[in-house]
Amino acid sequence: MEFHPEVIIVSMTRPDPLGRFKKFPGMEYLLAIMVTSVFTLIFLPFRSAEGQDHTILSQLYLLPVVISSVLWGLGPGALAALLSFLALNYFFVPPYYTLLVHRTEDLLVLIVFLGVSITIGQLVGRVSKSLSDSHAREREAIHLYELTVHLAGLQDEQSIASAIAERTLIVLRARRVDVLVEAQGQVPAHHVRMEDRSRPGQVQNETPTYLCPLQSSRGLLGEIQVWREGVSLGAVEVRLIGTFASQGVTALERLRLSQAASRARLLEDSDRFKSSLLSSVSHELRTPLATIKAAVTSLRSETVAWDSEARSELLAAIEEETDHLNQLVGNLLNMSRIEAGALKPERSWNSLADIVTSAIERMRQQTGKHQLEVDVSGDLPLVPVDYFQIEQVFINLISNSSKYSPEGTKITILAQRVDGDRLQVTVSNQGPHVAEENLERIFDKFYRVTAADKVTGAGLGLSICKGIIEAHDGRIWAENLAQGFAFNFTLPLSAEGFPLNAGQEIVDE
Amino acid sequence: MSTQPHILVIDDEAQILRALRTILTAKGFRVSVASRGEEGLTMAAAQPPDLIILDLSLPDMDGVEVCARLREWTQVPIIILSVRESERDKVVALDKGADDYLTKPFGIEELLARIRVALRHSAQSIGSQKSQIVTAGAVVIDLALHQVTRNGEEIKLTATEFKLLAYLAANAGRVLTNQSILSHVWDPSEADRVEYLRVYVRQLRKKLEDDPDHPSFIRNEPGIGYRFMVDE
Repeated sequence: MEFHPEVIIVSMTRPDPLGRFKKFPGMEYLLAIMVTSVFTLIFLPFRSAEGQDHTILSQLYLLPVVISSVLWGLGPGALAALLSFLALNYFFVPPYYTLLVHRTEDLLVLIVFLGVSITIGQLVGRVSKSLSDSHAREREAIHLYELTVHLAGLQDEQSIASAIAERTLIVLRARRVDVLVEAQGQVPAHHVRMEDRSRPGQVQNETPTYLCPLQSSRGLLGEIQVWREGVSLGAVEVRLIGTFASQGVTALERLRLSQAASRARLLEDSDRFKSSLLSSVSHELRTPLATIKAAVTSLRSETVAWDSEARSELLAAIEEETDHLNQLVGNLLNMSRIEAGALKPERSWNSLADIVTSAIERMRQQTGKHQLEVDVSGDLPLVPVDYFQIEQVFINLISNSSKYSPEGTKITILAQRVDGDRLQVTVSNQGPHVAEENLERIFDKFYRVTAADKVTGAGLGLSICKGIIEAHDGRIWAENLAQGFAFNFTLPLSAEGFPLNAGQEIVDE
Repeated sequence: MSTQPHILVIDDEAQILRALRTILTAKGFRVSVASRGEEGLTMAAAQPPDLIILDLSLPDMDGVEVCARLREWTQVPIIILSVRESERDKVVALDKGADDYLTKPFGIEELLARIRVALRHSAQSIGSQKSQIVTAGAVVIDLALHQVTRNGEEIKLTATEFKLLAYLAANAGRVLTNQSILSHVWDPSEADRVEYLRVYVRQLRKKLEDDPDHPSFIRNEPGIGYRFMVDE
């Protein structure tokens, strides 16, 4: 398989005050020499002709030593001490401009100076070094803390890789940082590239300055690649990037584990769903099958001579129950599509009146005992919907209405345009009320208002309606009427690729 | 006995074959059955039937392909049987030359009606004496004179309306897919503009039907297209 990483290039512009001073090795020593010379120049005008007390001067000469030690370290400090010793001797100890010393006490002062200055320089230098070390450790800790905080909230691998790359780029002052996360299972590979565009020139296919693997206990997850000019990475920086890498690995693993856990939870849910579906459906399938079997065996029975009325009664029952079975199978298929997230409406411009007509046609057997009143005009605007899914919604709502309302009562279907941009459909019946607190719940899977055995139905119909209507960006709700009960749903008159009124503005020639 | 129309049923479900063979034989047809696509094609070639009933899901090959291969050499009427979930296949099969379809489960009266329409149609096209006058209830359509009357009164139609009605009426009894209507009446490039069709059908229904909301002539074929119903 080829590796096609997604590359994100982030250009960063940040001030880099030190970048302008090109450092070169030995610069610290040069600076130490300069400081000592400057001090010598300052002291010279105060030199008296007949010689003076060297003790004050020798103490003043400790200044360049201390400065060099503090600013540039132990080596330059020692050099400054040696130079100061020589300068003191050459310029200020008579005879001037020679390194010769006449007086024994002068010699003593010089030797003591050398000893003291070197010792102080070393002590001060060591303190300052350990101070700067602890500063470096503090910075390191801050970078690490920032990275950890940053990583903690991230929920996708791309952002984790970006966060690592960004921190590494800033902390190491690198030219370019690439973070590669290898593909694992269904998780695609990620490749994030961060470049510092504030510097001229770009890194072309050069080998990286430093590579750090993203190594987890279960294998290699990827790597961090760093490009930097000039100085190679110091021990501290190597340690820091190593810690970044391990933080990154922890974040990636945490993410992968939580994803695995939610997948497992989904599977468990769908498992539970399937078993309740099975138990509900097997009951539901048996009822019509029992009727059909009973009717057919009766008709085939040779012991009874059925009169024509009884025969047609039995045959009507068979036909009704087969329609019922067919409808149930349709609902099951829709339910499994909704559960699999595969219920995508195949939209086209349709007339709601046509849909209602064919739904009623298909329901004729079941609605025979109710009066159906339909007010859905063919002059309503066309709606961009999936014909069969919306037909299924009507079938389920009509079927529900006929099941829960007394025989001989009215079922009314009404559609109207509301707010100019959608149609609202109301399917009402004269059945009993549903407790207000259950009005939402009746659209839940397997939820039934009455006890399971009183009314046939798997408790799927309304949840399918909800799934379909929501897939069409509509809304469905139920309400108690003064006399009866009603389902309402809305359907937008436009959808992606189906602009509002596109189907309504056709002018005939 | 040679006057009995010969029907070939291609379906892989033994129960359906058994039922159809029994019922169709009782209704006076000569019936042969095949349970695989290849077998069906061979039988159709060996003993050309007057009509083929074809299931879309066959074990060895796609029913749509069987349909296409039959159409390479014969214009025998083909009625597709399919389940409701394969609307797309159905439309493809109809566009590939199938004449009609039925959704399983179906009522036998419906199947017999479809068989009658298909056989009559093929008889007409063989005799190439297509009627120029189509009568549907109170509506009389004269295809040659471009004239439509209802209860003897002339109905004014626009050019597109007449073209649409004429195409539907010339294929009376048969299902026509949205696509085929659009490309015949409008233009093949507008075969996707279902909204045109919906609007014009609505206009025609208003002019022709007693109750445009419960049309009896221009019937809807869910997800497929339309069918013009005439008096049998």
